[in-house]
Amino acid sequence: MNEWIVFLLLFLAPVIASVPIALAYKSKALTEKLPVLSVLGIFVSVIMSLYILLTFPENTQYSYPWIPELGINFVFMVDYLSMFMGVVTALIAFFIGIYGLDYMKGDYRPSWYWFFFNLFTASMLLVVYSDNLFLLFVGWEGLGAASWGLIGHWFRDDDDIAYVGREGRKVGPLLLHWPPSFGGWRAISTIRFGDVPMFFALGAIWALAVNELGEPTLNISEIAWGSLFTTIGAAGTIILFVALLMGLFTKSAQVPFCEWLMTAMTGPTTVSALLHSATMVAAGAFVFIKLTWYIQPWHLHGVPGLEFVYTFVLFIGLLSGLYGALAGSGMHERKVLLAASTMSSIGLMFAAAAASFWIHEEVAHMNLALLVAFWYMAVHAFAKASLFLVAGHLIHATHSRFLNGGREFARKMTPAFIVTIIATTFLVGMPPLTAYWVKSGMDEVMELLHHHFGLIPIVLLVLTSLVYAGVLAKFLSLNFLKGEKPHHEHTEGGTLMKVGYILMVSVLFVLIALIFIREEAAGFVHAGFVETSIIVGLLIFLAYIVGLAKPQIAVLSKLGTFFSDRMYLPFLNDYIVPKIGFAIAAFVQNYGNRAIDGFFNTRVIPGLFKGISRGIRGIQTGLLSRYVNIVLGLVLVLLILFSVGGVWL
Amino acid sequence: MNGLTLTMPIAMILGAIVILTLCAALSVKYRDVGLIGAIVAILLGFVAVTSANPELIYYSAFVLAISLINLASLKTIKSVIQGVDFCLVGLMALVTLYIFSTQDLALILAAFVLVSVPTYILVMARERGANVEVGIKYITFMVLATILFLIGAILLVYTKNAYNDLLYILGYVMLVLGLSIEVGVAPLHEWVPDVFSSADPIPLSIIASLAKIVPFVIALKILLSTVGPLTVTLSLFTAVLAAISMFTGNIGALTSKEPARVLAYSTVANMGYVLACLVVIAKPEFFYFALTGALLMLFANAAGKIGFFNAIKNRGAFSPLLYLLAFSFIGLPPLMGFWGKLFILFSLIKAEYVWLVALMVINSAISVPYYLRLARELGVGWKASLTDFICIATVILIVVTFLPDWFYKGMEVIAQTVSIAI
Repeated sequence: MNEWIVFLLLFLAPVIASVPIALAYKSKALTEKLPVLSVLGIFVSVIMSLYILLTFPENTQYSYPWIPELGINFVFMVDYLSMFMGVVTALIAFFIGIYGLDYMKGDYRPSWYWFFFNLFTASMLLVVYSDNLFLLFVGWEGLGAASWGLIGHWFRDDDDIAYVGREGRKVGPLLLHWPPSFGGWRAISTIRFGDVPMFFALGAIWALAVNELGEPTLNISEIAWGSLFTTIGAAGTIILFVALLMGLFTKSAQVPFCEWLMTAMTGPTTVSALLHSATMVAAGAFVFIKLTWYIQPWHLHGVPGLEFVYTFVLFIGLLSGLYGALAGSGMHERKVLLAASTMSSIGLMFAAAAASFWIHEEVAHMNLALLVAFWYMAVHAFAKASLFLVAGHLIHATHSRFLNGGREFARKMTPAFIVTIIATTFLVGMPPLTAYWVKSGMDEVMELLHHHFGLIPIVLLVLTSLVYAGVLAKFLSLNFLKGEKPHHEHTEGGTLMKVGYILMVSVLFVLIALIFIREEAAGFVHAGFVETSIIVGLLIFLAYIVGLAKPQIAVLSKLGTFFSDRMYLPFLNDYIVPKIGFAIAAFVQNYGNRAIDGFFNTRVIPGLFKGISRGIRGIQTGLLSRYVNIVLGLVLVLLILFSVGGVWL
Repeated sequence: MNGLTLTMPIAMILGAIVILTLCAALSVKYRDVGLIGAIVAILLGFVAVTSANPELIYYSAFVLAISLINLASLKTIKSVIQGVDFCLVGLMALVTLYIFSTQDLALILAAFVLVSVPTYILVMARERGANVEVGIKYITFMVLATILFLIGAILLVYTKNAYNDLLYILGYVMLVLGLSIEVGVAPLHEWVPDVFSSADPIPLSIIASLAKIVPFVIALKILLSTVGPLTVTLSLFTAVLAAISMFTGNIGALTSKEPARVLAYSTVANMGYVLACLVVIAKPEFFYFALTGALLMLFANAAGKIGFFNAIKNRGAFSPLLYLLAFSFIGLPPLMGFWGKLFILFSLIKAEYVWLVALMVINSAISVPYYLRLARELGVGWKASLTDFICIATVILIVVTFLPDWFYKGMEVIAQTVSIAI
């Protein structure tokens, strides 16, 4: 009965724990000690999310009134997705918090960092647990704000180590070298660009959606999606969904909105680990999975327009997967490589979730495709976060953001080395490690689509997986095996950092255990033993070994440069769209503002007044005869007029 | 009235007139005798009127204040006609005090002339010699105005007993036109800018303040008493005239350079505002609103003009006072100018002339720049001269009605008795 306390603590503990450090921003002594309090706040959230996972009944909704007249309430849904995702989010945030105590020591504005870090955690938890679409949007916006604050954390742009891109690299008119302040701006502007159509879509849903009883509602689990889509017709469904997807795609950095994620690497590595690998970018995919979970499109095949939408998502996902992997293969920087691979994985999550439209297979009463997408999200989160944390430690140790480090270096950084091996091998999908089973599930899902799309999905998936394996192998190789020797080496210390990523990577073992224990994962295990899956798994293993052995292939260097310039996609963000924007602004200024200003303030109306005033004063010539003429003339004319009128009446 | 019952008030008024005449004669030699005589006469008149009709006390108090301030400002010049100017002001004040106490048509028409003719002399008063050119211009127009007004009034009164459409229309139009020329309503306002910029500012302040009250009151009385079937239709003519006057006055003042000319156009505009009250005749039950508005507007106009003209004469007055007078003209609450406009707007809405209301509001906005410019140009530091004290007195006048319900309650009663016995 007192669940509201749990929710309250869950969401507010991180925020309240960060208020002291935010208020004490002037005192250096306090801000050195208070981060621990912030991490403790996140720990409280971890306990609460575990409590919810272990004790709350599944598929229950908890509703607390906020603005009942508008249908906007605090509605939380504890279902399969949110139970587990909540724990994933809180745990990852906690581990990264511990890591951050070491990583962000000595920073010039810890108050800003910890405040936004905790605000982010609270927002993400809100997105995970919220059932009410508007409340979800509140959390969504919190994610965006925290992202801007954290990416641009080193806003003074004073150290090249926080930049992205090679200094001086120019392609055409564009300088491919971005500072943190610009990175923060790119992030928030892209996300905003997507949030506005999403908001309109939510508004449309608010206006139109009803539950089974016909009452208007904004709660995802209650809306009668089928009747909603039928009411607005095919065109309506497509427009609504595409508008909604704008928000999801921009947040999850799918093609063509992926540029912001690459330059988001200007933020501290903890930020990259939390936001841009595990949670925020996954939020888009998570919301899509959640919506699909309740829409249940596999039952709505008759609804017009829905098939188009899901095909759209499927292919955007697959294309983003391929793009991300290819771009990652050409990267020189540690974090940007990981960012590209993250974008690729999220694409695969979208694709798998979208595939649920055509998949009727269920495991433990849950759709197989959605399960695949969700489990991949969890595995990817922990693995990628570990890799990011390692990258952060490497950046600290070598004072360079580019891939370098050899065997000798690996010996000095043994924990990092081992964690990297574990994380990469567990993630790429080589048998019999964690991701292999989930990836096999994905293979099966894509295969089941061959009735509708032939071999295209499965081919794209396999291609992506192979390149992906090579990319992660490249990361391992160039950092610990075959990279050039670092210029500086500063490998002592960093205990908490090591604790952070060791804890993070150990969850992967928990996950593989869960795969064999949990009922719903039985589908993965079954898929893992299928012939095609084994072949794909072995191919991935081969790709990994090739990547390890030959991380840089000189013959393909031109292609590599094309990939490292991210196939010239930055032009969209930094050149084409700004030009359009400036053109619109110039038009409005020259033809709109100046016209209005000229009319009211400077030209037309003042000129009119001046002219009329001069005219009125011009009557006064000083000649009495003239005045008398005017007055007498007027009097006589009026009298005649009125008398004629009077006679007429 | 049958016979002339010699009551106390009547005796006092007669006594006042006798005193005025005697002192006027004596003042040719001894200037201050004129001043004393005028003050005594005005006080006598005040007492007489308020003892006869107690509800007129606020109106009479305002008129008393304005006339005393006018007398004070006359002290600053030494005109050719010596002390006679004081007595002329006294006469005008007496008539203005008395106008609400009578219902006799002959007296009312005489009152019009009694207020108008002294101004013919006052306008020519100057420190060295008489200003004859201005006098000619002014008198030409005033005579025309008087003729039109009187003929119009008599025609209207005639139709009360023997109604005739044509005569009513002619009477109404002539009355309104006469009134317009008399007070300076556009498009018949041509004398106003010239006279205001050529005559001496002090006598002008009297003409622009005290002399405007009676013509309007008389016009209201006559029109209210002679309401006929065509009144509503004809009030459209008055409304259009008022609108033209408002715009002409305000826009003309915007680019005028001399302060006196700006005040001239300001007068034209203000007279337009007051003329708008005449359209409310058609709705007698709201007439007291219009009467309140008209009187408040006239008093505010009077106070403001006196202050500004004195400032022009003395080459500047204390700046904050002038700004307050400017704000009153613009119509900023809680000064008197605001209340005047508000009541006029109320009564216009009740008379269903909403377009005129909108135009009046727009005109208030248009008038802001030139009043502020005037205050800025004429404002100086505190000099403790007579002018500054006169300005203080006028400011007190416009501030005293910050909550005017006492005034308009009185007007409600007066409005019942405002018609003429015909």
